[in-house]
Amino acid sequence: MQKATCETIRIAAMAIADGQRAEMTEMTSHRIEEHLADCATCRLEVDQLRAVNALMNMQQRQPQNERLWASIEMSLPEAPMAKNESPRSHLFKLLGLFLIGYKLFEMIPDRDLGLLFKLIPILFIVAAFAYLKVNPFRINTELALEGREEFDD
Amino acid sequence: MDDPTAIRRCRAGDKESFRYLVERYEAEAIGHAIAILGTREDARDAVQESFISAYQALPRFDLNRRFYPWFYVILRNCCYKMAAARKNREISLSDELMILAPIAELQREETMLLERSVLDLKDEDRELITLRHLDGLSYEELAERLGVPLGTIMSRLYYARKSLREKLIRRGFTRLC
Repeated sequence: MQKATCETIRIAAMAIADGQRAEMTEMTSHRIEEHLADCATCRLEVDQLRAVNALMNMQQRQPQNERLWASIEMSLPEAPMAKNESPRSHLFKLLGLFLIGYKLFEMIPDRDLGLLFKLIPILFIVAAFAYLKVNPFRINTELALEGREEFDD
Repeated sequence: MDDPTAIRRCRAGDKESFRYLVERYEAEAIGHAIAILGTREDARDAVQESFISAYQALPRFDLNRRFYPWFYVILRNCCYKMAAARKNREISLSDELMILAPIAELQREETMLLERSVLDLKDEDRELITLRHLDGLSYEELAERLGVPLGTIMSRLYYARKSLREKLIRRGFTRLC
């Protein structure tokens, strides 16, 4: 519990060092300062991170001089695509129509077409994920980052 | 010419107007792509691919918005897709400064050490740190650009700086030891 409190204070202290309003951090500047005055570990941590901040604030981006137009021009299509047109849009429309048709067919009473028939929508959805090259079980990056504080230190 | 005029002309099929957009933003885009990918070659490929995708998507662009933040989303997606495809890629640690420019306050060796530590960060951390410190984006701008809440920016920046500090200390950066 103490660790979580310290971590929250440090995060808030660094946000304030960046010029954010204390209200955004959901704690008062006074509470942060009070904690830093009492907790030597947090004070050291925040001082070092402020030094990193100061160091990075001095830096400038390296200017880039590359010219890419010649190679981009060669690969441009004749004209931009028409509004809202997407190469996959027709496929999705067909898939949607198919699923609606399937649902209507399924609603007809006294028809038992077996397990394979029931699996058809699932197979289509799996095929759609495969086509889109998307892994539905992939862990969201943001969730992973939010959980990171538990593993630090 | 301004951006909305160029975009309207591009939509009508005028490729020369797109040249205006490319030449206006390519340097900034390469800098941002290097900050995510860590290599100049990959960054160049990503920027080219992103400009081509942006050209195709121009009819969907809202003319009330600014071009570069919209383009940055395309560039960023392209960079992370490329980074995922080259999962085990090695970031080359040459003697050339790719991200940081030499400054009077630091010796070249110190700047090189700092750049290597920045390159050692995770792609997401490197992107965030450079956008914040080298471009001076505010928390609100970072949240909008990266599509995450303000609170997430606040905590991610903290962890990214913490990670940078550890890498600097490990490399013996004396100003922090």
